Amino acid sequence: MKRKNAAIRYLPVILLLIFLLTGCTASGPAQSLPAERTTFAMDTLMELKAYCGDDVLDRCVERIAELEKIFSVTDPESEIYSLNDTGTSVLGNDASILLKEALSLCERTGGALDISIYPVVRAWGFTTGEYRIPAKEELAELRKRVDYSKVEMNGSSVSIPDGMMIDLGSVAKGYCSDCLAEMLKEAGVKSALLNLGGNIYALGTKPDGTKWNIGIQDPNGSGYLGVLKASDLAVITSGGYERYFEENGKVYWHIMDPATGEPASSGLISVSVIGSRGVVCDGLSTALFVMGLDRAAQMWRDSEDFEAVFVTDTGSIYITEGLKDDFHTAGAYASEEIQVITHE
Amino acid sequence: MKRNRLTRGALLTAAALTIFLVEMMIPPIVPIPGVKLGLANIITLVAMMLIGPVDTLLILLARILLGGMFSGQIMSILYSFSGGILCYLTMLLLRKHIALSQIWAMSIVGAIAHNIGQIAMAILVTRTWELILYLPVLMVSGILTGLFTGLAAQAAAVKLKGKL
Amino acid sequence: MNKTIRTRTWILLFAVLLMASLAMTAWIMRRKAPGTTACIYSDGVLIRTVDLNSVTESFEFSVISERGENRIRVEPGRICVVDADCRDQICVKKGWLSESATPIVCLPHRLVIRLEAGSADVDAVSR
Repeated sequence: MKRKNAAIRYLPVILLLIFLLTGCTASGPAQSLPAERTTFAMDTLMELKAYCGDDVLDRCVERIAELEKIFSVTDPESEIYSLNDTGTSVLGNDASILLKEALSLCERTGGALDISIYPVVRAWGFTTGEYRIPAKEELAELRKRVDYSKVEMNGSSVSIPDGMMIDLGSVAKGYCSDCLAEMLKEAGVKSALLNLGGNIYALGTKPDGTKWNIGIQDPNGSGYLGVLKASDLAVITSGGYERYFEENGKVYWHIMDPATGEPASSGLISVSVIGSRGVVCDGLSTALFVMGLDRAAQMWRDSEDFEAVFVTDTGSIYITEGLKDDFHTAGAYASEEIQVITHE
Repeated sequence: MKRNRLTRGALLTAAALTIFLVEMMIPPIVPIPGVKLGLANIITLVAMMLIGPVDTLLILLARILLGGMFSGQIMSILYSFSGGILCYLTMLLLRKHIALSQIWAMSIVGAIAHNIGQIAMAILVTRTWELILYLPVLMVSGILTGLFTGLAAQAAAVKLKGKL
Repeated sequence: MNKTIRTRTWILLFAVLLMASLAMTAWIMRRKAPGTTACIYSDGVLIRTVDLNSVTESFEFSVISERGENRIRVEPGRICVVDADCRDQICVKKGWLSESATPIVCLPHRLVIRLEAGSADVDAVSR
């Protein structure tokens, strides 16, 4: 029995050791630094960060430049420019894939997204920065030229009616992030964060195995309203705050409602769409913004490929059910009650 | 004989349950989860010393289950159970090495074990590792409350010896 | 009688243990949290964060779960639970949390408020 006695005598020492051990936080293993690239394309700053060799990211930057050259509305050498210019064109691989994708999104959203809205956006001055409020008659005239369903696509050959102009800007960055993500995954990259001017694609996880933390821009301020944990997801936000002008105390933003030819006023001031395909998220973020909360919620119930965060003009935050465990509000919004949109 | 045993068990369970429920009405003195007197342990200690481990376990389990139900705190069954079982196991180990006049020591060790079990369960449930920071405070409280209930149990055991 | 542990041994053991625990408690009480961002967890899921240093106006909000409700108040630099419908009220009695590493806990509601390192934890902002 002497031995048992001794064992118990050492108990305090053992407990003390346990305390001391818990006091020291183990420092993680040293992590190599990510490769990073910054490039200006598609009218925005793009930041790429990936845990891989420099060469892989260099190829990504090249790919971005290549895609920009195809989709630009203003570059006379782009495929889209030539389609708009001549009304008919045979598109290359990327352009025909994206146009087909875009058209199906236009249809899926019942025209809330319309890739032929460009003439209207231009009339408001959002393409040049010389903002103006077009007259009612002018808008009525312009709206006759807006109708994605008149785009005829046969394989890779496309024709559009006279006066129509196609702009894939509402889906191009999303498509771009999909292309880059695919390239990176093929190169065996397990961890990367693509920030294409606020359109985020979180590839894999952080090197420590945890999900990426993606802030959602506060539409009323400079911070973010909440944080989303994401892995292999695109997080794309459309908000009235991105580009707008004020006249006579009224705010006019760049997201147009194709049905009216005027800035969308659906009661939403920001929509973030989260899903595995950037192109879908990009197009839907614009479309849901135009649709408003009720129609957008219905669209979510009818779909399986995205989740969303909505902010209304009264400052309420709504999230779809699938984000419940991965989203939390932050900063000034911490006191905000989050409404969860469910399937009922 | 058998009826005798059942009656004894029921009597002790009722006593433990009463103490347990009365103690629940006392508001916590310090704002640290898990700090409490643990008066119901008096019965466990007496039973362990005077009757035997099997009956003690039955009394303990019945008390935890019924206590959780009677107080409407189903959640607390989880915490009581993890603490109670760990406490029971240490008592089981010490049982043979304890004189009747040393119940207070067994009580302290049991209280500490109880608190460790409870905090471990709380860490599991809330997934908050930081709760371990409360362990030293719970050790202090375990030693003090364990001494108190242990002395009470000791007094009871001396009086009840041979009468149960 | 030689089977039992001597009373002297017990006293020694508990004295040492008590001293060690008291020392540890004192040390832990003085420990500071790694940051000032209050992270509020319900059932282990992070539901809200508030950077206490950037709070200029106090506000309150409730965390409601199927287990019950906790009313939380935030003031510049500190946070506390002002009201809760739990039995033990330990979360309310704990008072303000401003820099301590020990979290506010409401075990019956599985609510934890603890301070973590700043908001540098956002990797990118979607806008």
